[in-house]
Amino acid sequence: MTGASGAVDDGSAMDDTSYDVAIVGAGISGALIANRLTNAGLRVLVLEAGPATAWTFDGYAAHLDHFYEADGKGPESAWPPAAGAPQPDTADLRSGGGYFVQQGPDSYGSSYTRLLGGSTLHWLGVCLRMLPEDFELRSRYGVGRDWPLGYADLEPYYREAEWEVGVSADAADQSHLGIEFPDGYDYPMHALPPSYSDQVLGAAVDGMTVTLGGQPFALRVRGYPAARNSMPRDGYQPVGAVDERGEGQALARDLGQRCQGNTSCTPICPVQAKYNAQKSLAKADRRNLRVIPQAVAARVLADPVSGQVTGVEYQRYANPDSPRHTRAVARARCYVLAAHAVENAKLMLASGLGADSPVGEGLMDHPALYAWGLSPAPVGAYRGPLSTAGIDDLRGGAFRASHAAFRFDIGNDGWRATTGAPDTSVAAAVASLGMFGTRLRRHLEATLPRQVRFSVAVEQLPSPNNKVTIDPRYVDPLGNPRPVISYHVDDYPRAGMAAATDVYQRVFAQAGIEDRTDSGEGAWFPSLAYDGRVFHYHGMGHFAGTHTMGSSAAGSVVDADQRCWAHRNLFVVGSGSFPTMGTSNPTLTMAALSLRTADRMIKELTR
Amino acid sequence: MSWHTQSARPGRPAARAMEPSATDGAVDAAGAADQAVTGERAQRFLAMSVILTGYGRVQLTGTGLTTAYLRAIDTALPAGLLDDLISVFGRVLAGPRSSDDDLAANVASVILDDPRLGPVARNVILLWYCGTWHALSDAWYAAYGAPPLDTTGVVSAQAYQGGLQWAAAGAHPAGARQQGFGAWSAPPEPVPPAPAPAQPVPEGAGT
Repeated sequence: MTGASGAVDDGSAMDDTSYDVAIVGAGISGALIANRLTNAGLRVLVLEAGPATAWTFDGYAAHLDHFYEADGKGPESAWPPAAGAPQPDTADLRSGGGYFVQQGPDSYGSSYTRLLGGSTLHWLGVCLRMLPEDFELRSRYGVGRDWPLGYADLEPYYREAEWEVGVSADAADQSHLGIEFPDGYDYPMHALPPSYSDQVLGAAVDGMTVTLGGQPFALRVRGYPAARNSMPRDGYQPVGAVDERGEGQALARDLGQRCQGNTSCTPICPVQAKYNAQKSLAKADRRNLRVIPQAVAARVLADPVSGQVTGVEYQRYANPDSPRHTRAVARARCYVLAAHAVENAKLMLASGLGADSPVGEGLMDHPALYAWGLSPAPVGAYRGPLSTAGIDDLRGGAFRASHAAFRFDIGNDGWRATTGAPDTSVAAAVASLGMFGTRLRRHLEATLPRQVRFSVAVEQLPSPNNKVTIDPRYVDPLGNPRPVISYHVDDYPRAGMAAATDVYQRVFAQAGIEDRTDSGEGAWFPSLAYDGRVFHYHGMGHFAGTHTMGSSAAGSVVDADQRCWAHRNLFVVGSGSFPTMGTSNPTLTMAALSLRTADRMIKELTR
Repeated sequence: MSWHTQSARPGRPAARAMEPSATDGAVDAAGAADQAVTGERAQRFLAMSVILTGYGRVQLTGTGLTTAYLRAIDTALPAGLLDDLISVFGRVLAGPRSSDDDLAANVASVILDDPRLGPVARNVILLWYCGTWHALSDAWYAAYGAPPLDTTGVVSAQAYQGGLQWAAAGAHPAGARQQGFGAWSAPPEPVPPAPAPAQPVPEGAGT
């Protein structure tokens, strides 16, 4: 399929290598760890459940075509799953079908991708750090729980992650809400230019004050740090497209060294100016790396007495359209599960790992609202990266004792996410308004460039009732368990949704934006009620919890190094380790934790 | 992998698999269109499309999609239906009127309000704007029969990119024809004024 390109192979060769580390999953956590370990001289095997179809540029281009031709343009539209490695799809939410077995009472609205590169293939690219107070919610506000490490512990790794992933931002602009940078530090690339929409909104909104929990907050449209290539600082070399072919050719790397404004970060950046995990894997020391795609980890084998992991049994399929497979066992000195918050929990449960610890419990997301409206003048919708700024002043504050914090992403893509525009705007004008010809054209020209969209990401706290479990009645085509999801959005985020709605309505009024939210034009989303109000929410793709870290074995699955309490040569990494998640998208924090874990592993394994 | 082969996709008429794929579409489709759009039928289809979309003939043919759209419609609809629509349109265009408003009113009353032809005409508008063919309604099927290959779907990767909706937005198709680093920071450029409604092309005046 991909041929032998670089260290990625077809898994057919006999393998008598003794690896130092076996990693399950080639998403951002697995790729960063593999990169760092191989460059430290450790021999690493990576098992990736999905195909490596995006590893060559031609393969990546085929995914782009798949997106162009897709009838729906959702996050998964460029990334069809293999039969042996099924994945959730947001389109399944309404029908109740698909990979997830949703037990309710609420629908879990997020999805992920099982391919080499993982969900970074279709992430938005925002790289917010967590706030210092996010690590201490219990101590500060009496809700949630504290992390076993603090912002100061992670701060050096945030810096490393920002340089490894390639983040564009200005430190001076990001120093707020308690976030501090050491003197002299700045991001590897200058902030991306703000969209015209950001500038128009900022001119109207900056400095307006809202009160939350009796405390006044001044709002500001602030540029988002983003893993999209911009103008480099200090000799930093932006990393463009991954193009791994045989014979070491890499013809497309000149592509993507700057963001070109394709307005499709999700589902696919056509030029790979946005980071994806393949870029880190490509920088690994190939002499020490073997990657086997289409290799689904089915069971982790552990010594029943010592708890030491002794191998990973995996199923290799040659044809992505067929469940036919062979079985093998990978062995190493040390093991890493980096398969995704849900897949990690599923694999641990299927293997009987972490018994007596809360494996699978604490599942979180950012249940999110859309708010959309028409600006009084054109804001240049449908141009630029999907979001270049947000209003994030309400991510922290004393109000968090009583309800969730939240932030607003400001979209640059009109009402695409909320209503399916511009297609649905055209269809509505033609079908409902009876328009055609010049009148239709003028109507669209007058309205489409004025479309404004906010995504309101709302914090959710961990609950033992929100969890991933497995059930022998529900298996996938390889016979592996499908994730059974129990999920409830409780009053803490619901009250946050109510507060966020009040704030966005004030912001819209301030900017003269005609509110069109839930006007009947919106796409279908699950709904919930709070205090007599109904909210339609969606997932942000921000899975967290499921193998939470803690300062002692009681009540947690891993320690602050993401090392499993019950299996000391096993690390379980990713956003599943988060005890709480604040309001930042989890990727940068996952990356920082992964680099920290890699350092711990190197220290121990090279001793 | 089946999706990689770009053969007939589920829910898509098999005939469309013969269309140029996205990788060679820019050259082949435009070349084919150059020949086919000079035909009389295509000319009359374009004359109708100008009135329906509000875009000029050059902008429509410039998408390189005229023949692909004719083929898509012919695949989806019963034989002769599109030609019926074009004929009726030709009569409306040739009929008496004192203003463009009269023409619009006549198009609305004779074509768009017609239970058989109206939905097809609206589909032609959506095809040009969105690159997507929409299956006709169950009510239409009940009245006039259900064509077996009438399915909803993006006609091709090129059709997605060629949708007039992106031009109407003053933008570019998401994921293609990008405007370049930082272009999003500039104010949107005023859209050029819509052309006066094109002069109708009388029947038989195609080539």
